[in-house]
Amino acid sequence: MVALIAVASMVPGLLAGLQSSGIDYDAVAYRTGVILTEDPGWPGWPVYPPWEMKDQYHKDEIERMGLAVSNETPNILLSTKIEKFFNDTFFTTDDYRSKAIFGEIPYSYNITLRSLDGRYNHKVGQETPEGYGYIRRVVKIKEPSVAVIDGSLKERYTISPGDNSTTRTFTVRLDFSRLLNASIDPAYRIDPRTEPVNITITNFEAFLNGTTSNATLKSVTFRRGSSSIPFPYDEDDTDYYTLRIDNNPDLYPPEPGVAVSSNISLVLKPAATSLFELGPTSILDIRFTFEEEEDYPHTNITGIHYYDYNTTNVTRPALKPAVLEVAIW
Amino acid sequence: MVNDSGQLYTMEGIAAGLVMLLTAYLILSTTSIYTPGDTHIPDMQLEQLGSDVLAMMDTPDREGEESQLVGFVKNGTGTCGGDELRDEFLDNCKMRSDDPDENLRAQVYLSYRRSDGSVNTTPLSSVDPEFTGRENAVRVTHWVHLPPGSHSIPNIDTSRPHAVLVEVLLWRV
Repeated sequence: MVALIAVASMVPGLLAGLQSSGIDYDAVAYRTGVILTEDPGWPGWPVYPPWEMKDQYHKDEIERMGLAVSNETPNILLSTKIEKFFNDTFFTTDDYRSKAIFGEIPYSYNITLRSLDGRYNHKVGQETPEGYGYIRRVVKIKEPSVAVIDGSLKERYTISPGDNSTTRTFTVRLDFSRLLNASIDPAYRIDPRTEPVNITITNFEAFLNGTTSNATLKSVTFRRGSSSIPFPYDEDDTDYYTLRIDNNPDLYPPEPGVAVSSNISLVLKPAATSLFELGPTSILDIRFTFEEEEDYPHTNITGIHYYDYNTTNVTRPALKPAVLEVAIW
Repeated sequence: MVNDSGQLYTMEGIAAGLVMLLTAYLILSTTSIYTPGDTHIPDMQLEQLGSDVLAMMDTPDREGEESQLVGFVKNGTGTCGGDELRDEFLDNCKMRSDDPDENLRAQVYLSYRRSDGSVNTTPLSSVDPEFTGRENAVRVTHWVHLPPGSHSIPNIDTSRPHAVLVEVLLWRV
């Protein structure tokens, strides 16, 4: 009888063990979708530097990967966060599980992002099997701004007659107090601390001096207010900057000393800007210096171009419609 | 003659009962019955998709510009221009990383306060010919801020800004 009672009392435990707990994959996919589209991640906005700027050695500091520009702008995604998130050589399967999907169960996943124009077409994860949890979120992508300085600005940036200097300097100025103005919606704000700064001087022929066919770009330097900022990187440090001249596929160091005939394109990445110790009221000057060895100056370019919200100075691309899909099983 | 064989029968009976109970429990727990309560999941996915699309259509692509949704609503009531709103809405809903999700249909309504104070609800898009009224549709809504100025909405005071309600019925065929 005692044995019977013992067996009978064990039965409920047996039943509890057999109870299967159904996983609602749709709910997990929904949660991941919300984290990716409505959250800037952690560390992230307004904390600086955000997660997408962490390198291999600081990857453990990333707690959550969200793609939103800020927590005030759901469904507006930042292009730099997208590029980092879909870099599956940087992040492992475990990283995606622990920083975007969460939960104790090691879920399988397939996350895709495609923009309407096809410019973005990213995917991480495995092929989807039959029966999986799913959510689709419609978003817009914010892309970095570009300052294009072309021949139409020649009058603004030509030296006054009678200037006998032998060095020409052209400066692009980023006034952070103007750029990080809180009255500007984060979805349209120019933030050089989180997005690349693109400067393109095209149609350089217009700035050349009379009969010359090119001018020598001696250096590109960076200044914070009146003090110069050391920049110990070269053309291989593409995470920090890229400098291209005359549409040449080669990259150049900050002191290229090469002849320019048609255009200069500089991209300063947020990884470099983060090392410049810039505050919300700092002024960053990017200075292009042209100088010939033993010859008169070949270019007449000079002046200060403001990298700001003036549409003739900087072009801000329109937000791009896109779709983010999350499948979990 | 009294002996203890009855006790054995009782134990056997109880054990058999337990085995039957266990079997019944296992059979019941392994079958899942799809109840109307579970239909909330596809509905929720469709609702989320629709409200995302309305919110994104009401986000201007450039700072200071008028949003696409405001443009459609302002001109939507004239000669069924609301069809453009519906088509754009559906194009956004159908976007996928592979083939578009072609099975979606929608119908758009607009509610606003007329100049006499009464509330009017009017269809913005023309009626879908296959619409029977028995579709398992979800309803998504979005308040749109209309600045003062000319628009084709009938009997509305255009001298002041308005908040009008765009309502979309969204279903799968």
